[in-house]
Amino acid sequence: MIDFVELSSAFTESLEMVVQRARRSLVVVHNGRHGAGAGVVWRAGGYLVTNHHVVARGAIRVSSLEGHEYPARVVAQAAEVDLALLQVDGPAADLSNLLPAMIADSRQLRVGEVAFALGHPWGQRAVVTAGIISGLATVRVRGGRGSGTVMRTGAELVPGERGSVTVIRTDAELAPGNSGGPLLNASGAVIGINTMIVGGDLGVAIPSHIVEAFVTESLGQEVAQVTI
Amino acid sequence: MSQSNGNHPLTALSEAMAEAVEKAGMGTVLVNGRRRLPASGIAYAADLILTADHVVEREEDIPILLPDGSEVTATLVGRDPGSDLALLRLKGGPAFLAEPAPQEARIGQLVLALGRPTSEGIQASLGVISAKGGPVRTGRGGLLERYLRTDAIPYPGFSGGPLVDTAGRVVGLNTSGLARGASLAIPADLAWQIAGTLAQHGSVRRGYLGVRSQPVTIPTAQQKALGREQSTGLLLVSVEEGSPAEAGGLMVGDILVGLAGQPVSDPDELLARLSGAIVGSPAPVEVLRGGQPATVTVTIGERK
Repeated sequence: MIDFVELSSAFTESLEMVVQRARRSLVVVHNGRHGAGAGVVWRAGGYLVTNHHVVARGAIRVSSLEGHEYPARVVAQAAEVDLALLQVDGPAADLSNLLPAMIADSRQLRVGEVAFALGHPWGQRAVVTAGIISGLATVRVRGGRGSGTVMRTGAELVPGERGSVTVIRTDAELAPGNSGGPLLNASGAVIGINTMIVGGDLGVAIPSHIVEAFVTESLGQEVAQVTI
Repeated sequence: MSQSNGNHPLTALSEAMAEAVEKAGMGTVLVNGRRRLPASGIAYAADLILTADHVVEREEDIPILLPDGSEVTATLVGRDPGSDLALLRLKGGPAFLAEPAPQEARIGQLVLALGRPTSEGIQASLGVISAKGGPVRTGRGGLLERYLRTDAIPYPGFSGGPLVDTAGRVVGLNTSGLARGASLAIPADLAWQIAGTLAQHGSVRRGYLGVRSQPVTIPTAQQKALGREQSTGLLLVSVEEGSPAEAGGLMVGDILVGLAGQPVSDPDELLARLSGAIVGSPAPVEVLRGGQPATVTVTIGERK
């Protein structure tokens, strides 16, 4: 016989663990205007992912939940999938506070799986909303001019041309300020980056395998530029 | 691509819900029976789809998309606008049938609302059973005996789809057509029962008496004469000429207190008792006449 009280507290504990771990990879992205977006520490070395629309204009500044502030620059962006890669600068000791997130393989997602969003809706810091993956949908996007991004992930995006990309729909509540924040699975691994590129009341996220491809592609270019 | 351990209850629940969606999704079809966005339907029997009445705007050649991606057409078998249910017959059936939950939904239990409004696969939202209610007048001349309310998001096109438990069993049929704005579900046992009637008769028969009434309080002395505690009844304020009520001998001034052996204390109860097998057959109507109980027999007519 199942002890429901025990099950319920074990459940709550695992939830807390997942959220606590995920919070350590969450940052606030300021752009000098009203509101702020969220960001996820993606790679060691101060590499963060956020939404393109969060950093499209203004002077970028990143802060951790503990209040550390970092100057940041945009390394690469892909407007068509609303992604931007940032790198923050700072003493090594400070950067070590930014723990890279666990990244899940979003090609294996199933509708009905638990999904959590972390972000700063309406400016409130590190808010957790819970739900499930409601659906996987294909949306048409236009490749951004000069974004230089060609995805090699099944979602072929050529700059300036129309393409399609798979997005994750979730019933976890998303609001302005969740933009650029992570959508997490039951293990606390990132399955997507929340965004507002599709209208309506539906929350959507760009799957993590597309984000990973964007990051790899962007860092490859970055390295190439440095060597030349 | 790392995974953390030590959070088994959460991953177990996540797995269970994905399984439930996959299973129930096999019994959820796309119903393209209206001009705007397609809606959903439940695989009720080998060649029958149960869906919401308000999403079916035609009777023939209704395109149905099965979970395996094959397209078939369906024809209308029957509909009941009063409970917002319609039954369709397929040419070529679904391979998998929806399974109704063995027991009634409980307030607080986890449920998943499912729909298949596009060809891109199943969609779902998570919530709980928020409330149970009924009977409720549906504003389409009908009355729904019982309904479920949930906080699971009713995405566009979810009408006609199932509300399922975490084992993927159907606890209700989603509809937005009964109460404007609110997401209601028709309990599975009731939906299945109405579907059975639709399969047999093509419609749900609703009874007709031919009276106008208003609820009145029954004085204690008359409750004693009645032999039970029943604080309200229906005062008949008019009896239509040539109606079943007149033929059976009901009179203005009678207080209707029971029908076919069941107490009737308000208009909704009367409406609920007047549907189904009672239509067309003689039924005892219990009244208070001059303060004394009396029973007359009325052959219940059918409301057209």
